Amino acid sequence: MRLNLQLKISHKGFILVLVPLVFELVFLIVLSVLLQQAEVEVQRQVRSKAIISQANALSKLFYDAGVAMGGYSITKSPLFSDRYDKIVRQIPLDLQELKGLVGDNDKQQLILGRLQTITSDGLKILGEAKAAIDDNRVDVAQFRARHMYKQIRQLADQLQDELKGLTEDERKIESESPEQQNRSRAAVKMFLVFGVVLNIGIAFLLLYYFLRSISTRLSTVTDNSFRLARGQKLRPPLSGNDEIAQLDDAFRSMAEALAEASRKERAVIENAADVICSIDMDGKFVAVNPASYESWGFYPDELMGRRFIEVIMPEDVPDTIRAVRSVRGATSKVNFENRVKKRDGSMVNVLWSADWSEKDRALFCVAHDITQRKLVEEAIKANEARIRNIINNMMVGLIIITRDGLIESINPRTESMFSTRSHEMLGRHVMSLFADARHFSVSDPNDRQSFMETLFTKALNRIGEFDCLSANGEDFPVEISLTEFVSPDGAVRFMANVLDVSERKEVERMKKEFVSTVSHELRTPLTSIRGSLTLLAVGAMGALPEQAKKVVNIAERNTIRLIGLINDILDVEKLEAGKLDMELVDVAVASIFERSEQAVNTFAANNGVLLDMKPSGEMVHADGDRLVQVLVNLISNAVKFSPKGAAVTVSSAEIPGGFIEVHVTDRGRGIPESFKNRLFQRFQQVEASDAKKKGGTGLGLAICKGIVEQHGGTIGVESEEGKGSTFWFRIPKAQNLLKQPVQVLEPAASMQSNQAF
Amino acid sequence: MKVLIIDDEEDFRTVASSCLGLLGGDTVAEACSGKEGIEMARNDVPDVILLDLCMTDMDGTKTLASLREIPETAEVPVIFCTTKGMFPEFEDMKKLGALAVITKPFDPLKLSDQIKEILKAAGFACDQVLSAD
Repeated sequence: MRLNLQLKISHKGFILVLVPLVFELVFLIVLSVLLQQAEVEVQRQVRSKAIISQANALSKLFYDAGVAMGGYSITKSPLFSDRYDKIVRQIPLDLQELKGLVGDNDKQQLILGRLQTITSDGLKILGEAKAAIDDNRVDVAQFRARHMYKQIRQLADQLQDELKGLTEDERKIESESPEQQNRSRAAVKMFLVFGVVLNIGIAFLLLYYFLRSISTRLSTVTDNSFRLARGQKLRPPLSGNDEIAQLDDAFRSMAEALAEASRKERAVIENAADVICSIDMDGKFVAVNPASYESWGFYPDELMGRRFIEVIMPEDVPDTIRAVRSVRGATSKVNFENRVKKRDGSMVNVLWSADWSEKDRALFCVAHDITQRKLVEEAIKANEARIRNIINNMMVGLIIITRDGLIESINPRTESMFSTRSHEMLGRHVMSLFADARHFSVSDPNDRQSFMETLFTKALNRIGEFDCLSANGEDFPVEISLTEFVSPDGAVRFMANVLDVSERKEVERMKKEFVSTVSHELRTPLTSIRGSLTLLAVGAMGALPEQAKKVVNIAERNTIRLIGLINDILDVEKLEAGKLDMELVDVAVASIFERSEQAVNTFAANNGVLLDMKPSGEMVHADGDRLVQVLVNLISNAVKFSPKGAAVTVSSAEIPGGFIEVHVTDRGRGIPESFKNRLFQRFQQVEASDAKKKGGTGLGLAICKGIVEQHGGTIGVESEEGKGSTFWFRIPKAQNLLKQPVQVLEPAASMQSNQAF
Repeated sequence: MKVLIIDDEEDFRTVASSCLGLLGGDTVAEACSGKEGIEMARNDVPDVILLDLCMTDMDGTKTLASLREIPETAEVPVIFCTTKGMFPEFEDMKKLGALAVITKPFDPLKLSDQIKEILKAAGFACDQVLSAD
């Protein structure tokens, strides 16, 4: 039985067919063997009969030959002689025939051999007798006849005996064979009956066994499926590897997968953040997952059996009931929102997703807490309103345009700026808002195209200045900056920030005018004051008493300082507006050094400081006057902060990148680290008292920085407190070395801003 | 060197003429307006004219234009004197035929030398200029 369990059903079926088949085959072979035997037996019998009759015939012939010879010897009648001749010819033929019948039977062959000898002897004697008769030697013949007769009788008896021996054998066979045949036939019958019975028996046995093994195993599988349906434990797995075992295996895998899926499903429900529940026809909770505690503060057990609307905020109950009723008729899921009253009295916004099950007569619901979303939505709405408010009230015009320049939306400020209404602007081409529209055609695609190119070039991600055209035909200056963005529909849009700068331009103009006026108004009296004081100080108006000379000097010095301050303020003003006039030419570094030295020589000497000027041979591309101004400023500072007797070193060298770097090194007190980054800002001095003690406006380095940067250079300082400082700046090197420096006619006192060309 | 100062501000004229006369040893004539200056220049042609740019009646550029129209003064070198100092303006002045611009306030001690250097650089023989005084 164990062995059969390892077989597949197909193998079993095969065996079921094969076993009877083998039996049939054996029967067939046995039957055919038996038939063959019977056939041989019959043939042997037939042959025996033939041998016996042939032997008898031969014996009779021999006897007849003797009789014929006897008759002939007496009568000499040819009748006997002819008969005798016929018999003599017949005998060898019969003998030959008998020989053929006997075949390979040795014993009979032997008898036949003797028979042949006897007959030939007999015939010889009979021949001699006939010859004697024919020669009429009757006496001889008679004598011979007598003798011969005896011989013949003897031979005939011998022949008779031999033939008897032969036929006896055959008779024996003949008489034996029917019995043998009957016996074997009976055996065959027996064998056949037994075989058939055995065959049927085995076939039934196999059938029974196979059916039993298959149906038992199949019933196990069937039982398992019932067990699975009832949720019971499955029976142990079937052994073997036949189809049923495979089916059982597959069934088990399926059952495990189902169990796993249901476990997961349960885990999902148990661990879901949303409340998942079912509500019966009476509106009572029949199942609730544990999320109810986290979400609403109620344990599932507390909710079971309670009416569902008890947890809903009273104000929302009517709407909720209406929604629930609609779910019962609906074929698909229905969503509705309401507020759930938590155990602690607070409330949560809930989005319900409900499904009606006709089979269970229950409502399956998932309640998703959307309080946060509501808050976010409200915040977004509030934020949107705020942004909308800002956009509506901002002092900058906003215009949203397409890539082609069509206006999509504008804010109220744009309307007021262009003295037009929103609906009049939407859909128009943005070019119509610009003064360019006066000179070019808004309807010409080429003009539009080139206008858009200009607009993007000047204003995309930067601030560009334009002249706009209001609806009442007035030009006004604006600043525009364009920003690209992708609108929610995925299309590229540009937002133009348009700032009306008419007022600012006006203010700028006034400021410029003011600065110019003040500068003029201050310089005019200062010119006279300074001139007068200098004339006095040098004694051009007659020698002054020593005391008077002293105060006149003070007045002159302070006037010069005041003039310096005014010049510095004007420079700073211009630098800030980016309007410091510069004339960039190729200038030899050496000439800059020389002119600077001339300007500060006296000052350095007065302070007891040595100037060590080491210019290199290159030329720079710069405004010579401005560069002298920078260098004089740096050297003056260095001198101011150097101890008496110390040297200030000024040097220059080419550095990589096409720049000339100039160094001004002093042995002064150095600059505190914390101050370095403020150093180049306006009105910054290391010590508040410096302005008084050392003089200066606090604008010098700011101006230097501005000038250097307008040259495209950089300025900086390396310093160690107590050891001195090195101020450096880099200026682009002259590109064309062949170009001769333009001789700028300039009196040494460049600090006084006397200019000439 | 004979210098004509044309400026509507008396204080400036006084200081400038002192500087030139007392310190520089030049001969100085003063005119209080463009109109008077043109008249004086025509009557007594100076070596150089120091012309204020901003005057109430007739400003420096107009005065210069007039000077250039009068044959006697057409060739006289003119140096503008101004409190403003912008290159574009200098360029404009140069187009009008001014030789140079001296910004106010100037260095009193060097004014005379400064004018002489400008003349020399512009090709006016200094000796000739100097010999004229």
